[in-house]
Amino acid sequence: MLEIKNIQKSFGESKILKGVDIKIDKGDVVVILGPSGSGKTTLLRCINFLEKADEGLAVFDGIDINLKTASKRQIHSIRQKTAFVFQNYNLFNNKTALENVTEGLIVGRKMPKEEANELGKKALNKVGLSEKYNAYPSELSGGQQQRVGIARAVVIDPDIILFDEPTSALDPELVGEVLTVMKNIAKEGTTMLVVTHEMSFAKDVANRVIFMDEGIVIEEGSPKDIFVHPKEERTRKFLKRVLPEDFTYYI
Amino acid sequence: MSEGLDYKFLIDTFFVALSGVPIALAITIVALMVALPLGFILALSRINRFLVLHRFAQIYVSFVRGTPIIVQIFIVYSSIPLLLDSIVTKYNFEMNVYDVNPIWYAFIVFSFNTTAILIEVFRSALNTVSKGQLEAAQSVGLTNVQAFRRIIIPQTLVVALPNICTVTVNLIKATSLGYALSLQEITLRAKVAANVGYNYVEAYIDIFLVYLILCSLVEYIFKLYEKRLIKYKAVNA
Repeated sequence: MLEIKNIQKSFGESKILKGVDIKIDKGDVVVILGPSGSGKTTLLRCINFLEKADEGLAVFDGIDINLKTASKRQIHSIRQKTAFVFQNYNLFNNKTALENVTEGLIVGRKMPKEEANELGKKALNKVGLSEKYNAYPSELSGGQQQRVGIARAVVIDPDIILFDEPTSALDPELVGEVLTVMKNIAKEGTTMLVVTHEMSFAKDVANRVIFMDEGIVIEEGSPKDIFVHPKEERTRKFLKRVLPEDFTYYI
Repeated sequence: MSEGLDYKFLIDTFFVALSGVPIALAITIVALMVALPLGFILALSRINRFLVLHRFAQIYVSFVRGTPIIVQIFIVYSSIPLLLDSIVTKYNFEMNVYDVNPIWYAFIVFSFNTTAILIEVFRSALNTVSKGQLEAAQSVGLTNVQAFRRIIIPQTLVVALPNICTVTVNLIKATSLGYALSLQEITLRAKVAANVGYNYVEAYIDIFLVYLILCSLVEYIFKLYEKRLIKYKAVNA
């Protein structure tokens, strides 16, 4: 469904992405792991054109889009098919939870307001915020804000949702509620590309794990492949550093 | 003779000064209408570092901020007629450049001046709205224009509003310098009235009161507007 070929990106002198290829099929939940600075976030941002790649090709449902030279219309069409969940939620602070969720429908897609509100409420119910339709972001906890962020992504019914470290900015006790929501939408067959440090999520929910370091894909495979039988030395080292002592992989 | 204030004159002149309010307000409103959009665009150009515009805005701000308004008024008032005159003679227009209503010069000077101040006001206000919200708007399919109109500008305004109020009040007060253009505004009218019987103290008290009332009213209106805009912050305030 989505294929990324040879994506490259530099910031000034430092090359962040050195030619990454990934392929995602419909219904896949792909988790990208890797040490910080390995280019995971940049990769996600380039796919959604929040950063302009220096090189690379995206093949979306058989249509080639050059990531470097894409026209405004092509960028818009990719953004219509994708949704992004940000590390810092990035909710619209001047809008209520419901307005945050419906903004893309009403303004971006010209959907009638009643229809959008209905879909928006459904999306908020799905993330467990049926009581908070009219709350402003400043009235919500971090976990609630991120769940609104997820509802905002889910509601536009995208072909794929890109998650950029969705739990990294949260207090530890709020991580669980967000992961639960993510698990639920994964179960519904939503295609997801997730950058995270939550190993348990990768283990339990992903059907493929990609390990990146220094701008390239080191290794990819099923969670079992990566966690139990990593082939590469760098993967082993990374996992040894981040996995808790008692982390075991059950099938 | 000099045993106290001439109360009748004080009251009569109050209304004379008051009759200058429309001109002061006209200048204020025109200057704001020019300066608000222009200041916002130039502030954006400074933040996003648009090639030439960004440098231009920077130099423009330091020139306008670094000189007194009264000097700017004198420069515009003396140079523009010369400039116009040469154009009129060159193309044989039917126009006497020295008959131009001085209010036009006031419009020009105060628009220039206010733009420079608002560039800085908007620049600091825009920096308080996270770039992430713009990215989020783009990622849900809004165009840049839609994102600015619906997400960024409303929040920028809330932050900028107290400063815009200060700018507006300063602008109203600065229109008193219009007397240098022989503009029939509040200060000049009262002073002219005082010339007859040397009742300067009464005239100055009147001017003082008129500006005070006018500025207090404007501040009050801004406060009401701010309350309306700020509703999304009220809970945590």
